[in-house]
Amino acid sequence: MSRKLGALALALGILVGAMELKTLVTAHGKTAVIMDNGVSPVPVKLPPAN
Amino acid sequence: MPSGIALVIWIVGMGAGVCFVTCSVIRTSFLRYFFLNLYIILSLFSDLLRQFVLRFYGLESAQYTYAYYYTDCLLTVALFVAVISLASRIFAELNMTRHVRLVAVLLLLGTVGFSYAVVAQSAHRLVTVFAFELSQNLYFVGLVLTYLLWGAILKLQESRTRVVQMVLSLGLYFSAYAGSFALANLAPKYVIVQYLGPILGCFLPISWALTIMRHSEDSRLTTARLVAVPR
Repeated sequence: MSRKLGALALALGILVGAMELKTLVTAHGKTAVIMDNGVSPVPVKLPPAN
Repeated sequence: MPSGIALVIWIVGMGAGVCFVTCSVIRTSFLRYFFLNLYIILSLFSDLLRQFVLRFYGLESAQYTYAYYYTDCLLTVALFVAVISLASRIFAELNMTRHVRLVAVLLLLGTVGFSYAVVAQSAHRLVTVFAFELSQNLYFVGLVLTYLLWGAILKLQESRTRVVQMVLSLGLYFSAYAGSFALANLAPKYVIVQYLGPILGCFLPISWALTIMRHSEDSRLTTARLVAVPR
């Protein structure tokens, strides 16, 4: 039980840390952080709204 | 139409991906590193699809943008699973594989929920922006997870060369994207910036292919070489 709670706490900790990091990084940037998996050219614009 | 440089980068990346999968099969490591191979195979198919759409519709088309970001989201999830598979291998000796899987599922569900909460406020953008938001959030989760994994490798004195080098490659890969993001903000006018993403995309298959080619599963690193500060 305690190990499962530990796993839950770890997952929450990682998620909060990652989102904090994202907020920190994107707050000081003009563009979006794009993962760019693969080797194809990056599109010039973000996904358009429907 | 893609430029000559973009085409060269694409060919090098595809070649490296094929090389990694082939080496894994030849050295009977395909199933042992199945999720890493799965990520590279999905990456190869995604790049083929993107190239097809790019040639038909062009770089500025909505079709290419959709194809790029939806495949990118799929690949980021696959990379997340690959990171978790490496974590499972590292923590297997402590009989914590089940807990690693539990953390992975919770993290994935949490990230999906968070991404949905961000884009749900504007329902008309849900379909298009959700994939992009999820990809972006999973990137940061992967980044934090990889650094935690590196800490665990040092703490547990993991010595399997392949595992150590694959986690190090992932750490460099994630960090390099952070660097390219900084460069894109500092010097957006330079042409090289637009090629940074695809160049970095070649890094992971090349480094993993070199690891599989140069080291066997029995290869070990001494822990003293992993720690920078002598004790």
